[in-house]
Amino acid sequence: MKWEIVCTGIGGRGVLLASAVLIETAISAGYRAMASDELGMSQRGGSVVSLVKVGTFRSPFVGRENADVILSFEESEFYRNLSFLKKGGLAIVNSRRSAVPSPVDALLLARKAGCFLVNADEIAGRTGSIQASNMAMLGFFSAFAIGPYSIENIVGALERKVAQRLFAMNKAVCEAGRNEALQRL
Amino acid sequence: MSNVEVMIGNQAIALGLVEAGIDLASAYPGTPSSEILPAVIDFKRRMGRNIHIEWSVNERVAMEVALGAAMAGKKAACMMKQVGLNVAFPPFIKSRAVPIRSGLLIVSCDDPGPQSSQTEQDSRLIATLFGVPVFDASSPGDARSLASWALAYSVERQTPVVLRSTHRVSHAREAVSLDTPTPEKGSLDEGLKLSNGNGLGIVTSGMSYNVVMDVLDELGLEKVVSLFKVAQIFPLQAGLFAFVRSMEHVVVLEETDEVLEALIGDRSKVFGRSTGYVPRQGELTYDVIRGIVQVVAEKAGVGAKFFSPDRAIEEAVSTVSFAPRPPKLCAGCPHRASFYAMRQAFPKAVFPGDIGCYTLGISQGAVDTCVDMGGSVGLAAGFYEAFHQDGPFMPIVASIGDSTFFHAALPLLYDSVKKGKQYILVIMDNGTTAMTGMQPTPQSGRRAEGTSEYAIPIEEAAKGFGVEFLRVLDPYDIPGMIKAVKEAGADLKQRGRGPAVIVARHPCLLYAKTGKNMSVQPPDLTADCNGCKRCIDLYGCPAFLFDESEGRIKLDDALCVNCATCQFVCPQKKKGRRERG
Repeated sequence: MKWEIVCTGIGGRGVLLASAVLIETAISAGYRAMASDELGMSQRGGSVVSLVKVGTFRSPFVGRENADVILSFEESEFYRNLSFLKKGGLAIVNSRRSAVPSPVDALLLARKAGCFLVNADEIAGRTGSIQASNMAMLGFFSAFAIGPYSIENIVGALERKVAQRLFAMNKAVCEAGRNEALQRL
Repeated sequence: MSNVEVMIGNQAIALGLVEAGIDLASAYPGTPSSEILPAVIDFKRRMGRNIHIEWSVNERVAMEVALGAAMAGKKAACMMKQVGLNVAFPPFIKSRAVPIRSGLLIVSCDDPGPQSSQTEQDSRLIATLFGVPVFDASSPGDARSLASWALAYSVERQTPVVLRSTHRVSHAREAVSLDTPTPEKGSLDEGLKLSNGNGLGIVTSGMSYNVVMDVLDELGLEKVVSLFKVAQIFPLQAGLFAFVRSMEHVVVLEETDEVLEALIGDRSKVFGRSTGYVPRQGELTYDVIRGIVQVVAEKAGVGAKFFSPDRAIEEAVSTVSFAPRPPKLCAGCPHRASFYAMRQAFPKAVFPGDIGCYTLGISQGAVDTCVDMGGSVGLAAGFYEAFHQDGPFMPIVASIGDSTFFHAALPLLYDSVKKGKQYILVIMDNGTTAMTGMQPTPQSGRRAEGTSEYAIPIEEAAKGFGVEFLRVLDPYDIPGMIKAVKEAGADLKQRGRGPAVIVARHPCLLYAKTGKNMSVQPPDLTADCNGCKRCIDLYGCPAFLFDESEGRIKLDDALCVNCATCQFVCPQKKKGRRERG
């Protein structure tokens, strides 16, 4: 099995930490995994895309309409990177809104893609810190149990990737994100 | 499992170098090569090796230091980005003909696209043109083995060798085993990778190889085409020519110039850049390679599965409005204040710019050129002569960063002083090489591994050259900065001799990690705002949010660092200050 995941967002949103956790999780579960990061010139506030490929791939590039999953840590970046999403793919978008604009909704329906808008900022703010909204996104994603991405595996990788003093908070936010998904699924 | 580490390509290159037993590593930072030297420091410590490691003032110095060590019998490596190789050209060319008693490896990281460079450039082409052996890395793991192998190749033949990486290799992340020591003369990962008859053959190298393999898998062509991967670009192995001869059609996929294609030479059956099948510019991304492979597979009469993009995606997305995100200087960046002051002092000046974060001054109308490292100073001198020849005084306000100043501008400034060229040079001194990840400058007094060294203040260098108008000030004081730039211009006119130098000194906020300045109250732009948007047009701080419904500016509290410099930009605030006296 193999999966292509596109993580998108803006600088300072924890996109790269999330993609690092995704690779770590896959490798710990015995998969081959790699990533390629695209950062804008600006260190803060610019677009960030991290392409993650899990399984028997050779390159860390994701082609148009090939991504199984888009995790968008900022809503605008979801639209900018929507052409990555394959037919029948899954999109999880950090947003305060309850629905995407209707033309996009119609497109996703026609392409049989699942799209979940999650107020990850709110979940993270309520559970720990708004800075940890990336963890709420990973927790939400874990509810779909795609490939190696169970909550246990993700939290295990998280423990190795974040500073010890921040682990408990990150774990709590991650689990809160998962609970949000379980309530809605 | 335990001895596997996820690392980027540049760390893997460093691992290979340290494993291969280098004695010396020198570099000047430049995306995408900057992470190699810090990783050499890391692996040196972890493996307890004795390696001299230095950030050199520029690539030429890095290469000469490495070459000197190699001539004296040490294994040496120097690292740079592709345009850095241009700076190092004199020792690079001569290194072919000097006695190297051990090994010299030049790691040059290319930037197809380009994403963070003034130009694309293929280091393989330069090496090949001048007969320097060159290897092309295709992945982090591959780069690690090749670094080791290329150094052994250099030692054996007593010749300099180039290892070429690209940003997709240097910045790709994958698991690399720490266990298996790379063999001194390991086998190269090259040669025939797919053998499926002689209808269509693909010749590829570098990251393109891995992308092609994924594309062939997607299009179901891995059992239809033959593929030859090249790692040693020059001198080419005979096997490649035999492969090409045996094929009816050949497509060459390589970044970024025609190197393998030119060496193959036979245009009659080659689909490539010379025959218009491969774009001459830009990265060979997954989509680009998929497109090329589909076209040539059809031409060669193989393959059936085709990808066609669903343009409904673009149609749907076009209905949604979302803000573009052009690269911007950080909120509170001192460069923004300097550029604003330069533009205010001389709105119609010519603004030669340079290479660094501050190239972004283009959005404030205070950067007109971006040619090469130090180019702002050289061009300013040329612009001065051009205008001077025709008569009237034209203000010329050049800008350059601190690290770039030391890298390339010292002889240029000296030459201008000697000839009295009339221009203003603003040296934007933020105390670090910010663009590439906070490497030290000659002014930092800090070496690559953290020990202290003699620090050279910029103003001392300028004084030593005989610069007469010299000011050092904090650009956050925008009125003071405007005044200084105007006075510099007046001084040039009055004395009829230049250049005038202003050192605009304020630490990079990312480097100083100062965060939000809680002792300063941010200006209340909203209260006075009449919706003129002058702040957005001329200052463009990322913390500015324009509330269209209220027609007023707001400060994004999460981004604003309370630098309060925007108070000098708002005409309403300025009016308020005048009225209050």
